[in-house]
This record gives sequence, C-alpha cells and structure tokens, in this order.
Amino acid sequence: MDQGPSRLTAIALAFMAVIWVSPFSWLILNAFNPLSTGQLEIPRAFGLDNFAMAVSGNAGRQFLNSMLIAAGTATLSVVVGISAAYPLSRLRIPGRNAFLWTLVLLRMLPSAGVLVPLYFAAQRSGLLNQLGVIIALTILNLPFTLLLLKNFFDTVPIELEEAAYVEGASLLQIITRIVLPMSKAGIAVVWFFSFTGAWNEFLLPLIFARVQDAFPMSVGLYAAFGTQGAINYGFLTAFSILYAAPAVGVYFLLRRNMNTGFAGVGVKG
Amino acid sequence: MKNQANPWLTSNLLVLGLGMLPALLLIGALLYFTAWAFAFSFTDLALVGRKSVEWSWVGLQNFERLFTRRGFLESLWTTVVFVFFSAIVGQSVLGFLLAVVLRGTQSTIRSVVEVCIMLGWLLPDIVAAFLWSATTNQTGLINQLFVVPFGFPPINFINEYALPIVTIANVWKGTAWSYLLFSAALDSVSREVVEAAKVDGATPLQRIWLVQLPIIRPHIATNMLFITIWTFTYFPLIYAMTGGGPGTATQTLAVFLYNQSFSRGNLGFGSAISVAMLLIVGLLSLVYLRMLREPK
Repeated sequence: MDQGPSRLTAIALAFMAVIWVSPFSWLILNAFNPLSTGQLEIPRAFGLDNFAMAVSGNAGRQFLNSMLIAAGTATLSVVVGISAAYPLSRLRIPGRNAFLWTLVLLRMLPSAGVLVPLYFAAQRSGLLNQLGVIIALTILNLPFTLLLLKNFFDTVPIELEEAAYVEGASLLQIITRIVLPMSKAGIAVVWFFSFTGAWNEFLLPLIFARVQDAFPMSVGLYAAFGTQGAINYGFLTAFSILYAAPAVGVYFLLRRNMNTGFAGVGVKG
Repeated sequence: MKNQANPWLTSNLLVLGLGMLPALLLIGALLYFTAWAFAFSFTDLALVGRKSVEWSWVGLQNFERLFTRRGFLESLWTTVVFVFFSAIVGQSVLGFLLAVVLRGTQSTIRSVVEVCIMLGWLLPDIVAAFLWSATTNQTGLINQLFVVPFGFPPINFINEYALPIVTIANVWKGTAWSYLLFSAALDSVSREVVEAAKVDGATPLQRIWLVQLPIIRPHIATNMLFITIWTFTYFPLIYAMTGGGPGTATQTLAVFLYNQSFSRGNLGFGSAISVAMLLIVGLLSLVYLRMLREPK
C-alpha cells in the first residue's frame, strides 16, 4: 500500500507460486493418463479412465464415510463449543483462562498417546464405529475449539446485547440474532479447521473402523497400496485428487471469512 | 464486574450452565483418557500377548529406559532439528515475509500466491506425502529438471537427504497457516501508526522491525506456540514419506512413539514417550507464554 508493486517483487512472487504448485505436476499428469506408470512424463494418451476406476467400487461409500465423519465432527465441535464458549466468555467464572490454557496444554499430548485408552473406552461402550470416531475427534478438538470460539465471542461488544435486552429480546434471541451473526467468520473458521482435520484424520479411523464398509477415504487410500498388488498409480493419483477436492472446495466457499476469522486466533486467551 | 448488571445472563444462569454441560462432559473424558495415558507409562502393558492382560506396575523403569536405551535421545534431536527448521525458520519466517510483501501488491497477485500456498496446506497429509516422494525420487521432477539435464546421474533425494526433504515438505505444507495468521495480525496494526513512523523518516525495514513487529508480538507468540506443538507431535507426513527411515534418519519422537506403541506393541514404554513429549512441549510453551505476557 505504500509504494507501487515493484516488478521485481512480482516476478519473485510468481516464481515462488510456480515452485509451490510444481509438485502437483506429477499428480495431474498421472491421474489423466490411462497408461500411467507412476513416472513423471508427458502422457501419450489422455482420459478419465482413472477417475472412472476411482469412483467405482468402494470409493463412493468411502467418500460418504469421510463426509459423515468430517461434517459430523465439525458440526458437533462447533455446537458443543458455542454453547460452552458463550458462557465462558460472558460470565466471570474464576480461573476460566487458566482452565482453557491448561486444556490446550493437555492436548499437547501426542494423540497416539491417548489412542489406547480411547480405544478401550470405545470398545467397552460399543462405539467402534463412525459415531465413535466423531465423538473421539470432537473430544480431541474441543480445547482448541473452545479457546478460539471464546476469543471470537470476546470481540462482540456487550453493549449490543444490553441494547437488545432493553428492547425485550430473550437470551436465545440475543445469541441467535446478535452474537452468532457477529462471530460468523470465526465460527466458519473453526468449523473449517475441524472439518479438514477430521477429513484428513488417518490413525483414529484406521483403528476404530474394523470393517471395510466403514473405511473413510484416508484409510481407503492407504489400503489401496496393499490390495492392488503392483501399485496402480493411475488409480492412486485419481483417488488422491478426489480425496483432496472437498477440503479445497470448502476453502473456496469460506475464503472471504478466513482472514477475518484468523484475526481472532492471535488474541490473548 | 460487568455481568452483574447483565440481567439476560444472570436470570438465565441455569440455561447457560446446561449449555456448558456437554463440553464439560467431553473435557472430563479427555482428562480421564489423559490420566490413563499417564498411568500406562508406569506399567509394562503390551498391545498383544500375555502382558496385554497380565500387566504389572514397573515404577519408573520405562522412564529410565528413555535414557539408557538407544532411540529416545536420537529421536529428540531429530525432532528438535525438524521443528526448528521446518516450523520456526521455514513456516514462521517465510509466512511472515509473505504476509509483509503481499500486503503491498495488487490483489490479483496476492490471490494467486495465496491460493498456491493454501493448496499445500489443504492437501491431506497422505496425498502430500505421495507428491513429495514422487517429486524427489530418482525419476522425479527435481532430477528431471535440475540434475539429469546437466549430465549428472539421478540422485535419490528422499533416501540420501531424507531429513532435509521431509523438512522442506513440511514447510511447503504448513506455511499457509503462519501466513494467514500474520496477515490477519498485520491488518490489525493501525495505519496511523505506520504512517506516523513514515513521516518521522523510518525506512521500510525500520517500520517493519521497530513498529509492526512489536505490535503483533502476541500474534507471533501464539503462532510459535501452535506450530511448535503441532510440528512436535506431527506424524502422518513423515511416516507416509519415509516411515522414519532410512535407518532412523527421520525418526522424530512422534514416529518413535508410534513404532514403539503399535509396531512393537510396547504400550507402557510408548506412554512414557508421550508423557516425556508432553513435558518437553509444556516447558517450551511456558517460554512462549512468557513472551505473550507483556514486554520488558
């Protein structure tokens, strides 16, 4: 905003952008090449055969499983998070900040560390299924979700709520008409983090999903290595693109909210 | 003190309390599981076999093994190198530079670069691992563009320079987060302050170093805190790229923990590793939180 964009900076940035996307060349070239060998080469043929192969068989079911786990985790985290973060932000509960930071510190325990007790608990309560994965991921997400949501609610001026109360609004109306719309960007960001986190999650569903029907795409991709004998790179790359697409899509939908949302991340807890 | 005068809150304490209940339950579960992970670290619990049922308490034996057996200290060093170069130097510094530079450029360039960086971040870990293995192997992009055309024999980068390659892959993957955070932080620096510094004759570098950096210091500390935690315990990318190898060249603590717990089945020893990791990251966080506290 100070000086006009110098040509040199623009060239440097363009150069960087090219470097950044260059690893994708392998993925794209192989995915659209029906005769793919896993080498980096210009395809002699072009076609969508790999994608046809990737969406047939188990892939559709795995896609739905991933969607269920990711959307379920994100929505549950946000709903549980909002209903706790609003009171935490507004009521002066003694030690609330120390409490939140302690939780975040606790989550530094590598998730592989709590995996075993989680597994035993899920086994005992019959939750070795999608619902179990959703609950487990929500438990692991909650500290960060709470901290971020509380920070966003802290930025909503309490005077607005006061004014609404004087006008006769109930608590529910105050929350749904004022607090939630004003922290929309932050909520979208938290939802997005939980969604991509759960979508990418590999270890937990691998251990929780005992039957092939319950595999999400991350586990399916991993399993595809073993079952195909010689690795079928065309299938693998096409499947990878399909697997990566939703997170990218959701990002573009929420893109305008992202920057606003991120401002809240840095606010002190 | 303000909420005493907020009747919509005080008259609904019960509802607000009920709202917190599900979160408290789940947090209780998290505390419970964490407590179990701690307890396991004092046992010889195994994943399979006799000791998965008839385990016994072994006191501090697992923790002694951290220092007497090979593996833990080497992995700790690998992790420190990995975290320092990929998170602190790579993601943080590069993210900050990008945030500063892109603020001054046209919105099209800004959008394009932003989307390119985001693609790395949005890509699932396993797919990112495929990409980087393919890019750095003997027939990969780097060899085809920079090595073979100059008459050199192809180099198997992923094998010969495993740790640097994994580090670069993680910078590629993670810079977007730091960039977004710093970019939002710089937006919060009021324009007047920067303009005032400009009027007083500060060079662009001075404006960044002496004006903007101190103002966004809390954001820097938060960012450091988050990415250090994440990178310290980050597992899938490295595991899918190298499995910790060749040898133990890329065996970070997270990979070591996984190998011990689930490949070898030593759940007790594995828990001791995760407790040790928690202590180390906890100490680091205290340092960062001090940075957050306030200056001088």
